[in-house]
Amino acid sequence: MPARAALMAAGLAAASAWAQQRGAPPPAFAPSNLTPAGVRALAAACAPCHGTDGHAVPGSALQPLAGRPRDEIVQALALFKEGRKPATVMQQIARGFTDEEVAAVAQYFERQPRQEGTP
Amino acid sequence: MDRRQFLKASGAAALLAGAAGCETVAQHLPIASFTRRRVVVVGGGYGGATAAKYVRLLDPSIEVLLVEPNDEFVSCPLSNMVLGGFRSMADITTPYSGLLRHGVRVIRDTATAIDTERRQVRMASGEPLSYDRVILSPGVDFMWEALPEMNNPTAQSRILHAWKAGPQTLALRRQLENMRDGGVFVISVPEAPFRCPPGPYERACQAAAYFKAAKPRSKVLILDANEDVISKGALFKRAWLELYPGMIEHRPNSRAVDVDVANNVLKLEFGDEKADVLNVLPPMKAGRIADPFITANGRWCEVDWLTYESRAAKNVHILGDSLQIAPLMPKSATMANGHGKVCAAAVVALLRGDTPNPAPTLVNTCYSMVSDKLAIHVASVHKYDTGEHPGTMRPVPGAGGLSSAMSEAEGTYSMNWARNIWADALA
Repeated sequence: MPARAALMAAGLAAASAWAQQRGAPPPAFAPSNLTPAGVRALAAACAPCHGTDGHAVPGSALQPLAGRPRDEIVQALALFKEGRKPATVMQQIARGFTDEEVAAVAQYFERQPRQEGTP
Repeated sequence: MDRRQFLKASGAAALLAGAAGCETVAQHLPIASFTRRRVVVVGGGYGGATAAKYVRLLDPSIEVLLVEPNDEFVSCPLSNMVLGGFRSMADITTPYSGLLRHGVRVIRDTATAIDTERRQVRMASGEPLSYDRVILSPGVDFMWEALPEMNNPTAQSRILHAWKAGPQTLALRRQLENMRDGGVFVISVPEAPFRCPPGPYERACQAAAYFKAAKPRSKVLILDANEDVISKGALFKRAWLELYPGMIEHRPNSRAVDVDVANNVLKLEFGDEKADVLNVLPPMKAGRIADPFITANGRWCEVDWLTYESRAAKNVHILGDSLQIAPLMPKSATMANGHGKVCAAAVVALLRGDTPNPAPTLVNTCYSMVSDKLAIHVASVHKYDTGEHPGTMRPVPGAGGLSSAMSEAEGTYSMNWARNIWADALA
Protein backbone atom coordinates (compact mmCIF):
# COMPACT_ATOMS: atom_id res chain seq x y z
CA MET A 1 0.00 0.00 0.00
CA PRO A 2 1.51 3.39 -0.92
CA ALA A 3 2.31 5.67 2.02
CA ARG A 4 -0.49 8.03 1.12
CA ALA A 5 -3.17 5.35 1.02
CA ALA A 6 -1.87 3.87 4.25
CA LEU A 7 -2.11 7.24 5.88
CA MET A 8 -5.60 7.83 4.59
CA ALA A 9 -6.64 4.47 5.95
CA ALA A 10 -5.00 5.30 9.26
CA GLY A 11 -6.74 8.68 9.22
CA LEU A 12 -10.12 7.07 8.60
CA ALA A 13 -9.50 4.58 11.38
CA ALA A 14 -8.54 7.42 13.70
CA ALA A 15 -11.63 9.35 12.62
CA SER A 16 -13.94 6.47 13.33
CA ALA A 17 -12.20 5.71 16.63
CA TRP A 18 -12.56 9.33 17.56
CA ALA A 19 -16.25 9.39 16.67
CA GLN A 20 -16.95 6.20 18.59
CA GLN A 21 -14.98 7.42 21.57
CA ARG A 22 -16.91 10.64 21.74
CA GLY A 23 -20.22 8.98 20.92
CA ALA A 24 -20.81 11.78 18.41
CA PRO A 25 -21.21 11.91 14.65
CA PRO A 26 -18.02 12.77 12.74
CA PRO A 27 -17.46 16.52 12.55
CA ALA A 28 -18.94 18.53 9.67
CA PHE A 29 -16.23 21.14 9.25
CA ALA A 30 -17.01 24.44 7.55
CA PRO A 31 -15.48 24.57 4.05
CA SER A 32 -12.01 26.18 3.95
CA ASN A 33 -12.05 29.95 3.66
CA LEU A 34 -9.39 30.74 1.05
CA THR A 35 -10.21 34.44 0.69
CA PRO A 36 -7.25 36.73 1.44
CA ALA A 37 -8.55 37.30 4.99
CA GLY A 38 -9.14 33.57 5.45
CA VAL A 39 -5.63 32.67 4.30
CA ARG A 40 -4.11 35.34 6.52
CA ALA A 41 -6.03 33.83 9.44
CA LEU A 42 -4.73 30.34 8.60
CA ALA A 43 -1.17 31.67 8.41
CA ALA A 44 -1.65 33.36 11.80
CA ALA A 45 -2.19 29.91 13.31
CA CYS A 46 1.49 29.14 12.45
CA ALA A 47 2.78 32.24 14.27
CA PRO A 48 3.17 30.94 17.86
CA CYS A 49 6.05 28.76 16.65
CA HIS A 50 7.13 30.41 13.38
CA GLY A 51 6.59 34.10 14.16
CA THR A 52 4.08 36.76 13.14
CA ASP A 53 3.61 36.43 9.35
CA GLY A 54 6.44 33.88 9.38
CA HIS A 55 9.04 36.25 10.85
CA ALA A 56 10.62 34.19 13.62
CA VAL A 57 12.79 35.75 16.33
CA PRO A 58 16.52 35.93 15.49
CA GLY A 59 18.28 32.61 15.89
CA SER A 60 15.03 30.66 16.19
CA ALA A 61 15.44 26.89 15.94
CA LEU A 62 11.90 26.87 14.55
CA GLN A 63 12.14 27.90 10.93
CA PRO A 64 11.10 31.34 9.73
CA LEU A 65 8.62 30.94 6.86
CA ALA A 66 8.53 34.50 5.50
CA GLY A 67 9.81 34.75 1.94
CA ARG A 68 10.34 31.02 1.48
CA PRO A 69 9.50 29.64 -1.95
CA ARG A 70 5.92 28.36 -2.06
CA ASP A 71 6.92 24.99 -3.50
CA GLU A 72 9.46 24.40 -0.75
CA ILE A 73 6.77 24.84 1.93
CA VAL A 74 4.21 22.75 0.02
CA GLN A 75 6.71 19.92 -0.43
CA ALA A 76 7.82 19.98 3.20
CA LEU A 77 4.22 19.86 4.44
CA ALA A 78 3.41 16.97 2.07
CA LEU A 79 6.40 15.01 3.40
CA PHE A 80 5.39 15.77 6.99
CA LYS A 81 1.85 14.59 6.26
CA GLU A 82 3.11 11.35 4.80
CA GLY A 83 5.54 10.79 7.65
CA ARG A 84 8.49 10.85 5.24
CA LYS A 85 10.25 13.88 6.77
CA PRO A 86 11.49 13.44 10.34
CA ALA A 87 9.61 15.66 12.77
CA THR A 88 8.52 15.84 16.37
CA VAL A 89 5.25 17.73 15.93
CA MET A 90 4.88 18.97 12.34
CA GLN A 91 3.66 15.58 11.05
CA GLN A 92 0.77 15.89 13.51
CA ILE A 93 -0.05 19.50 12.64
CA ALA A 94 0.30 19.09 8.86
CA ARG A 95 -2.45 16.46 8.90
CA GLY A 96 -4.86 19.12 10.17
CA PHE A 97 -4.72 21.06 6.90
CA THR A 98 -6.03 20.24 3.42
CA ASP A 99 -3.68 20.39 0.42
CA GLU A 100 -5.53 23.51 -0.78
CA GLU A 101 -5.05 25.21 2.58
CA VAL A 102 -1.34 24.34 2.57
CA ALA A 103 -0.90 25.73 -0.95
CA ALA A 104 -2.66 28.98 -0.05
CA VAL A 105 -0.71 29.46 3.19
CA ALA A 106 2.56 28.66 1.39
CA GLN A 107 1.80 31.36 -1.16
CA TYR A 108 1.02 33.80 1.65
CA PHE A 109 4.39 33.16 3.29
CA GLU A 110 6.23 33.35 -0.04
CA ARG A 111 4.90 36.89 -0.45
CA GLN A 112 6.13 38.08 2.96
CA PRO A 113 9.47 39.91 2.94
CA ARG A 114 12.24 37.37 3.38
CA GLN A 115 13.91 37.46 6.73
CA GLU A 116 17.62 37.94 7.12
CA GLY A 117 19.33 34.78 8.27
CA THR A 118 16.74 32.47 6.67
CA PRO A 119 18.54 29.40 5.34
CA MET B 1 -21.20 59.58 2.96
CA ASP B 2 -22.23 56.85 5.35
CA ARG B 3 -20.33 55.94 8.48
CA ARG B 4 -18.42 53.13 6.85
CA GLN B 5 -17.23 55.20 3.90
CA PHE B 6 -16.31 57.99 6.24
CA LEU B 7 -14.30 55.61 8.36
CA LYS B 8 -12.40 54.30 5.37
CA ALA B 9 -11.63 57.86 4.30
CA SER B 10 -10.50 58.82 7.76
CA GLY B 11 -8.41 55.70 8.24
CA ALA B 12 -5.18 57.27 7.06
CA ALA B 13 -5.66 60.27 9.31
CA ALA B 14 -6.41 57.98 12.21
CA LEU B 15 -3.24 56.00 11.49
CA LEU B 16 -1.19 59.18 11.64
CA ALA B 17 -2.91 60.15 14.87
CA GLY B 18 -2.20 56.73 16.37
CA ALA B 19 0.94 57.70 18.25
CA ALA B 20 0.73 56.02 21.60
CA GLY B 21 2.08 56.35 25.08
CA CYS B 22 1.79 54.19 28.15
CA GLU B 23 -0.69 55.82 30.45
CA THR B 24 -0.20 54.95 34.08
CA VAL B 25 -3.26 56.98 35.03
CA ALA B 26 -6.25 56.33 32.80
CA GLN B 27 -7.79 59.44 31.39
CA HIS B 28 -11.34 59.85 30.29
CA LEU B 29 -11.16 58.98 26.63
CA PRO B 30 -14.57 59.60 25.10
CA ILE B 31 -15.39 58.23 21.67
CA ALA B 32 -15.43 61.06 19.22
CA SER B 33 -18.38 59.87 17.18
CA PHE B 34 -17.80 59.16 13.49
CA THR B 35 -14.04 59.51 13.82
CA ARG B 36 -12.65 56.31 15.34
CA ARG B 37 -14.04 53.06 16.55
CA ARG B 38 -12.60 51.86 19.81
CA VAL B 39 -11.83 48.39 21.13
CA VAL B 40 -10.96 48.02 24.81
CA VAL B 41 -9.08 44.84 25.75
CA VAL B 42 -9.12 43.82 29.41
CA GLY B 43 -6.18 41.65 30.45
CA GLY B 44 -2.71 41.54 28.88
CA GLY B 45 -1.97 37.82 29.01
CA TYR B 46 -1.51 35.50 26.03
CA GLY B 47 -5.09 36.07 24.80
CA GLY B 48 -5.54 39.78 25.44
CA ALA B 49 -2.11 41.01 24.32
CA THR B 50 -2.43 39.01 21.09
CA ALA B 51 -5.95 40.34 20.42
CA ALA B 52 -4.83 43.94 21.02
CA LYS B 53 -1.88 43.63 18.64
CA TYR B 54 -3.82 41.83 15.91
CA VAL B 55 -6.73 44.29 15.87
CA ARG B 56 -4.15 46.99 15.11
CA LEU B 57 -2.32 44.80 12.53
CA LEU B 58 -5.58 44.12 10.72
CA ASP B 59 -7.00 47.65 10.90
CA PRO B 60 -4.82 50.52 12.14
CA SER B 61 -7.82 52.87 11.98
CA ILE B 62 -9.28 51.21 15.08
CA GLU B 63 -8.22 52.62 18.43
CA VAL B 64 -7.12 49.87 20.83
CA LEU B 65 -6.74 50.31 24.59
CA LEU B 66 -5.29 47.47 26.66
CA VAL B 67 -6.10 47.56 30.38
CA GLU B 68 -3.61 45.61 32.48
CA PRO B 69 -2.65 46.10 36.14
CA ASN B 70 0.83 44.53 35.90
CA ASP B 71 3.65 46.61 34.44
CA GLU B 72 5.22 43.61 32.67
CA PHE B 73 4.06 40.34 31.15
CA VAL B 74 5.22 37.29 33.09
CA SER B 75 4.74 33.96 31.30
CA CYS B 76 3.04 31.06 33.05
CA PRO B 77 4.58 28.63 30.53
CA LEU B 78 8.20 28.07 31.63
CA SER B 79 7.46 29.46 35.12
CA ASN B 80 7.77 25.92 36.52
CA MET B 81 11.42 26.11 35.41
CA VAL B 82 11.88 29.02 37.81
CA LEU B 83 10.67 26.65 40.55
CA GLY B 84 13.22 24.11 39.33
CA GLY B 85 15.95 26.75 39.45
CA PHE B 86 16.71 26.52 35.73
CA ARG B 87 15.29 29.90 34.69
CA SER B 88 15.07 33.34 36.30
CA MET B 89 12.02 35.59 36.47
CA ALA B 90 13.78 37.88 33.98
CA ASP B 91 13.88 34.97 31.49
CA ILE B 92 10.07 34.70 31.48
CA THR B 93 9.28 38.44 31.62
CA THR B 94 8.48 40.64 28.60
CA PRO B 95 7.67 44.36 28.68
CA TYR B 96 4.43 45.71 27.21
CA SER B 97 6.37 48.40 25.34
CA GLY B 98 6.42 46.34 22.13
CA LEU B 99 2.67 46.86 21.80
CA LEU B 100 3.13 50.64 21.71
CA ARG B 101 4.87 50.25 18.36
CA HIS B 102 1.61 48.87 16.99
CA GLY B 103 -0.34 51.82 18.38
CA VAL B 104 -1.92 49.92 21.27
CA ARG B 105 -2.46 52.24 24.26
CA VAL B 106 -1.51 50.33 27.39
CA ILE B 107 -3.33 51.55 30.49
CA ARG B 108 -1.99 50.33 33.81
CA ASP B 109 -5.15 50.00 35.86
CA THR B 110 -7.64 47.35 36.93
CA ALA B 111 -10.98 47.02 35.19
CA THR B 112 -13.68 46.54 37.83
CA ALA B 113 -16.90 46.10 35.82
CA ILE B 114 -18.38 46.15 32.32
CA ASP B 115 -21.38 48.43 31.84
CA THR B 116 -22.97 46.80 28.80
CA GLU B 117 -25.76 49.43 28.63
CA ARG B 118 -23.40 52.40 28.39
CA ARG B 119 -20.70 50.33 26.69
CA GLN B 120 -18.10 51.37 29.24
CA VAL B 121 -15.37 49.62 31.19
CA ARG B 122 -15.26 50.85 34.80
CA MET B 123 -11.81 51.27 36.25
CA ALA B 124 -10.31 51.00 39.75
CA SER B 125 -8.61 54.39 39.55
CA GLY B 126 -9.32 56.06 36.22
CA GLU B 127 -12.47 57.29 34.52
CA PRO B 128 -14.62 54.75 32.66
CA LEU B 129 -13.48 53.80 29.14
CA SER B 130 -16.11 53.82 26.40
CA TYR B 131 -15.95 51.08 23.78
CA ASP B 132 -17.56 49.93 20.58
CA ARG B 133 -16.52 46.38 21.45
CA VAL B 134 -14.76 45.07 24.54
CA ILE B 135 -12.53 41.96 24.62
CA LEU B 136 -12.14 40.27 28.02
CA SER B 137 -9.15 38.01 28.57
CA PRO B 138 -9.02 37.86 32.36
CA GLY B 139 -7.60 34.37 32.82
CA VAL B 140 -8.78 32.40 35.83
CA ASP B 141 -9.93 33.22 39.30
CA PHE B 142 -9.64 30.89 42.30
CA MET B 143 -12.62 29.35 44.10
CA TRP B 144 -11.19 29.60 47.61
CA GLU B 145 -14.63 28.96 49.08
CA ALA B 146 -14.05 25.29 48.15
CA LEU B 147 -11.26 25.23 50.79
CA PRO B 148 -12.78 27.18 53.71
CA GLU B 149 -9.60 27.71 55.76
CA MET B 150 -7.86 29.11 52.68
CA ASN B 151 -10.54 31.74 52.15
CA ASN B 152 -8.55 34.63 53.68
CA PRO B 153 -5.46 36.61 52.64
CA THR B 154 -3.25 35.39 55.51
CA ALA B 155 -3.75 31.75 54.58
CA GLN B 156 -3.22 32.55 50.91
CA SER B 157 0.08 34.29 51.66
CA ARG B 158 1.33 31.18 53.44
CA ILE B 159 0.01 28.30 51.31
CA LEU B 160 0.82 29.26 47.73
CA HIS B 161 -0.73 28.40 44.37
CA ALA B 162 1.96 29.94 42.10
CA TRP B 163 -0.55 29.35 39.29
CA LYS B 164 -0.30 32.94 38.08
CA ALA B 165 3.34 33.59 37.29
CA GLY B 166 4.76 36.44 39.34
CA PRO B 167 5.67 37.01 42.99
CA GLN B 168 4.20 33.64 44.04
CA THR B 169 6.50 31.83 41.60
CA LEU B 170 9.57 33.15 43.41
CA ALA B 171 7.97 32.73 46.83
CA LEU B 172 7.28 29.03 46.16
CA ARG B 173 10.86 28.62 44.91
CA ARG B 174 12.07 30.07 48.26
CA GLN B 175 9.87 27.57 50.14
CA LEU B 176 11.45 24.71 48.18
CA GLU B 177 14.93 26.11 48.85
CA ASN B 178 14.18 26.30 52.58
CA MET B 179 12.73 22.79 52.74
CA ARG B 180 14.80 20.17 54.61
CA ASP B 181 16.37 17.28 52.71
CA GLY B 182 13.97 14.38 53.15
CA GLY B 183 10.94 16.68 53.10
CA VAL B 184 7.74 16.17 51.14
CA PHE B 185 6.50 18.69 48.59
CA VAL B 186 2.76 18.19 48.12
CA ILE B 187 0.95 19.47 45.02
CA SER B 188 -2.84 19.48 45.30
CA VAL B 189 -4.55 19.26 41.89
CA PRO B 190 -8.24 20.23 41.47
CA GLU B 191 -10.76 18.49 39.26
CA ALA B 192 -10.46 19.39 35.59
CA PRO B 193 -11.01 21.75 33.87
CA PHE B 194 -8.35 24.18 35.11
CA ARG B 195 -5.67 26.40 33.57
CA CYS B 196 -2.81 24.42 32.00
CA PRO B 197 -3.81 20.73 32.33
CA PRO B 198 -0.22 19.34 32.22
CA GLY B 199 1.14 22.08 34.51
CA PRO B 200 0.93 20.23 37.85
CA TYR B 201 2.76 17.19 36.45
CA GLU B 202 5.45 19.37 34.87
CA ARG B 203 5.80 21.14 38.22
CA ALA B 204 6.41 17.77 39.88
CA CYS B 205 9.22 17.10 37.37
CA GLN B 206 10.83 20.49 37.95
CA ALA B 207 10.71 20.17 41.74
CA ALA B 208 12.14 16.64 41.50
CA ALA B 209 14.92 17.84 39.20
CA TYR B 210 15.88 20.39 41.85
CA PHE B 211 15.62 17.88 44.70
CA LYS B 212 17.66 15.28 42.82
CA ALA B 213 20.60 17.68 42.70
CA ALA B 214 20.17 19.58 45.97
CA LYS B 215 18.26 17.42 48.50
CA PRO B 216 18.00 13.89 47.10
CA ARG B 217 16.08 12.30 49.99
CA SER B 218 13.09 14.58 49.33
CA LYS B 219 9.87 13.56 47.62
CA VAL B 220 7.08 15.04 45.52
CA LEU B 221 3.54 13.86 46.25
CA ILE B 222 0.82 14.78 43.75
CA LEU B 223 -2.62 14.56 45.32
CA ASP B 224 -4.89 14.64 42.30
CA ALA B 225 -8.68 15.07 42.39
CA ASN B 226 -8.84 13.42 38.97
CA GLU B 227 -8.96 9.70 38.18
CA ASP B 228 -5.60 9.80 36.44
CA VAL B 229 -2.96 12.19 35.12
CA ILE B 230 -5.14 14.36 32.86
CA SER B 231 -2.59 15.33 30.20
CA LYS B 232 0.37 13.50 28.59
CA GLY B 233 -0.12 10.77 31.22
CA ALA B 234 2.04 7.99 29.79
CA LEU B 235 4.85 10.43 28.94
CA PHE B 236 4.88 11.98 32.40
CA LYS B 237 4.78 8.60 34.14
CA ARG B 238 7.73 7.42 32.08
CA ALA B 239 9.67 10.60 32.86
CA TRP B 240 8.99 10.17 36.59
CA LEU B 241 10.15 6.55 36.48
CA GLU B 242 13.25 7.10 34.37
CA LEU B 243 14.46 10.50 35.52
CA TYR B 244 13.33 10.59 39.16
CA PRO B 245 12.96 6.98 40.32
CA GLY B 246 11.23 6.76 43.69
CA MET B 247 10.91 10.53 44.04
CA ILE B 248 7.47 11.30 42.60
CA GLU B 249 4.25 9.69 43.75
CA HIS B 250 0.96 10.39 41.99
CA ARG B 251 -2.18 9.60 43.96
CA PRO B 252 -5.40 9.86 41.92
CA ASN B 253 -8.94 10.42 43.30
CA SER B 254 -7.49 12.58 46.08
CA ARG B 255 -9.65 15.67 46.20
CA ALA B 256 -8.76 18.38 48.71
CA VAL B 257 -11.65 19.62 50.85
CA ASP B 258 -9.74 22.01 53.11
CA VAL B 259 -6.31 22.96 54.43
CA ASP B 260 -5.03 23.02 58.01
CA VAL B 261 -2.96 26.11 57.38
CA ALA B 262 -1.14 26.23 60.73
CA ASN B 263 0.11 22.65 60.36
CA ASN B 264 0.67 22.50 56.58
CA VAL B 265 -1.84 19.68 56.27
CA LEU B 266 -4.01 19.03 53.24
CA LYS B 267 -7.41 17.67 54.21
CA LEU B 268 -8.75 15.15 51.71
CA GLU B 269 -12.14 13.49 51.42
CA PHE B 270 -10.54 10.47 53.05
CA GLY B 271 -7.67 11.24 55.43
CA ASP B 272 -5.12 14.04 55.75
CA GLU B 273 -1.65 14.52 54.30
CA LYS B 274 1.07 16.52 56.03
CA ALA B 275 3.51 18.43 53.82
CA ASP B 276 6.80 20.17 54.32
CA VAL B 277 5.88 22.50 51.48
CA LEU B 278 2.23 22.54 50.47
CA ASN B 279 1.22 23.89 47.05
CA VAL B 280 -2.54 24.12 46.54
CA LEU B 281 -4.16 24.67 43.16
CA PRO B 282 -7.73 25.56 44.04
CA PRO B 283 -10.67 24.89 41.74
CA MET B 284 -10.79 27.61 39.10
CA LYS B 285 -13.37 29.70 37.27
CA ALA B 286 -13.43 32.58 34.80
CA GLY B 287 -11.64 35.76 35.89
CA ARG B 288 -13.80 38.02 38.06
CA ILE B 289 -14.48 40.75 35.48
CA ALA B 290 -16.27 38.09 33.40
CA ASP B 291 -18.60 37.04 36.25
CA PRO B 292 -21.74 38.57 34.68
CA PHE B 293 -21.08 36.58 31.51
CA ILE B 294 -20.66 33.15 33.14
CA THR B 295 -23.15 30.74 31.57
CA ALA B 296 -21.66 27.26 32.14
CA ASN B 297 -21.61 25.43 35.49
CA GLY B 298 -21.39 28.73 37.34
CA ARG B 299 -17.73 28.85 36.33
CA TRP B 300 -17.05 29.49 32.65
CA CYS B 301 -18.20 31.73 29.78
CA GLU B 302 -19.76 30.43 26.58
CA VAL B 303 -19.06 32.27 23.33
CA ASP B 304 -19.86 32.12 19.64
CA TRP B 305 -16.76 30.35 18.26
CA LEU B 306 -16.78 32.48 15.10
CA THR B 307 -16.53 35.80 16.95
CA TYR B 308 -15.86 34.98 20.63
CA GLU B 309 -18.83 37.20 21.42
CA SER B 310 -20.37 36.27 24.76
CA ARG B 311 -23.60 34.26 24.67
CA ALA B 312 -24.75 36.53 27.48
CA ALA B 313 -24.02 40.05 26.15
CA LYS B 314 -23.67 41.92 22.87
CA ASN B 315 -20.38 43.64 21.99
CA VAL B 316 -18.58 41.71 24.75
CA HIS B 317 -15.98 39.20 23.54
CA ILE B 318 -14.24 36.70 25.81
CA LEU B 319 -11.03 34.70 25.28
CA GLY B 320 -8.61 32.29 26.82
CA ASP B 321 -8.83 30.37 30.07
CA SER B 322 -12.19 31.97 31.02
CA LEU B 323 -14.01 30.08 28.28
CA GLN B 324 -16.20 27.06 28.55
CA ILE B 325 -13.97 24.88 26.40
CA ALA B 326 -15.01 23.19 23.18
CA PRO B 327 -14.42 19.40 22.96
CA LEU B 328 -10.76 18.51 23.70
CA MET B 329 -9.69 22.15 23.74
CA PRO B 330 -7.13 22.78 26.50
CA LYS B 331 -6.82 25.95 28.57
CA SER B 332 -3.35 26.66 27.20
CA ALA B 333 -1.29 29.69 26.20
CA THR B 334 -1.17 28.72 22.52
CA MET B 335 -4.92 28.28 22.51
CA ALA B 336 -5.47 31.72 24.08
CA ASN B 337 -3.12 33.21 21.47
CA GLY B 338 -5.23 31.56 18.77
CA HIS B 339 -8.47 32.79 20.33
CA GLY B 340 -6.98 36.29 20.33
CA LYS B 341 -6.35 36.23 16.58
CA VAL B 342 -9.70 34.74 15.56
CA CYS B 343 -11.46 37.23 17.84
CA ALA B 344 -9.41 40.20 16.60
CA ALA B 345 -10.24 39.40 12.96
CA ALA B 346 -13.94 38.96 13.81
CA VAL B 347 -14.07 42.23 15.77
CA VAL B 348 -12.45 44.08 12.87
CA ALA B 349 -14.93 42.50 10.43
CA LEU B 350 -17.93 43.31 12.63
CA LEU B 351 -16.83 46.93 13.10
CA ARG B 352 -16.63 47.25 9.31
CA GLY B 353 -20.00 45.59 8.80
CA ASP B 354 -18.33 42.57 7.16
CA THR B 355 -18.98 38.87 7.80
CA PRO B 356 -16.51 37.19 10.20
CA ASN B 357 -14.43 34.25 8.93
CA PRO B 358 -16.86 31.28 8.76
CA ALA B 359 -14.05 28.70 9.02
CA PRO B 360 -11.65 29.60 11.85
CA THR B 361 -8.76 27.23 12.62
CA LEU B 362 -6.86 26.88 15.89
CA VAL B 363 -3.57 25.04 16.31
CA ASN B 364 -2.46 23.99 19.77
CA THR B 365 1.09 23.02 20.63
CA CYS B 366 1.81 22.59 24.30
CA TYR B 367 5.25 21.66 25.62
CA SER B 368 6.11 20.48 29.12
CA MET B 369 9.67 20.50 30.46
CA VAL B 370 10.30 17.23 32.28
CA SER B 371 13.87 18.21 33.25
CA ASP B 372 16.18 21.15 32.63
CA LYS B 373 16.60 20.03 28.98
CA LEU B 374 14.02 17.38 28.07
CA ALA B 375 10.50 18.16 26.88
CA ILE B 376 7.32 16.45 25.71
CA HIS B 377 4.36 17.86 23.79
CA VAL B 378 0.72 17.45 22.91
CA ALA B 379 -0.62 19.04 19.73
CA SER B 380 -3.99 19.37 18.02
CA VAL B 381 -5.68 21.21 15.15
CA HIS B 382 -9.23 22.49 15.73
CA LYS B 383 -11.69 23.58 13.05
CA TYR B 384 -15.20 24.98 13.11
CA ASP B 385 -17.83 22.25 13.11
CA THR B 386 -21.21 23.22 11.71
CA GLY B 387 -22.76 19.83 12.45
CA GLU B 388 -24.61 21.05 15.52
CA HIS B 389 -26.25 24.28 16.56
CA PRO B 390 -24.64 26.32 17.82
CA GLY B 391 -21.45 25.41 15.97
CA THR B 392 -18.36 24.47 17.93
CA MET B 393 -14.63 23.88 17.47
CA ARG B 394 -13.57 20.24 17.13
CA PRO B 395 -10.18 18.58 16.68
CA VAL B 396 -9.45 17.36 13.18
CA PRO B 397 -9.48 13.54 13.28
CA GLY B 398 -6.13 12.03 12.37
CA ALA B 399 -4.24 15.24 13.19
CA GLY B 400 -2.49 16.08 16.42
CA GLY B 401 -0.87 13.76 18.90
CA LEU B 402 1.81 13.34 21.51
CA SER B 403 5.59 13.08 21.58
CA SER B 404 6.89 9.62 20.76
CA ALA B 405 9.32 10.12 23.67
CA MET B 406 10.84 12.93 25.74
CA SER B 407 13.76 14.55 23.96
CA GLU B 408 16.29 17.36 24.01
CA ALA B 409 15.11 18.43 20.55
CA GLU B 410 11.69 19.16 22.00
CA GLY B 411 13.35 20.97 24.89
CA THR B 412 14.99 23.28 22.35
CA TYR B 413 11.72 23.69 20.43
CA SER B 414 9.93 24.49 23.66
CA MET B 415 12.27 27.42 24.37
CA ASN B 416 11.96 28.65 20.80
CA TRP B 417 8.17 28.33 20.90
CA ALA B 418 8.25 30.60 23.96
CA ARG B 419 10.40 33.25 22.28
CA ASN B 420 8.25 33.23 19.14
CA ILE B 421 4.88 33.31 20.89
CA TRP B 422 6.05 36.13 23.20
CA ALA B 423 7.05 38.07 20.10
CA ASP B 424 3.77 37.20 18.35
CA ALA B 425 1.75 38.47 21.31
CA LEU B 426 3.87 41.35 22.56
CA ALA B 427 6.51 42.54 20.10
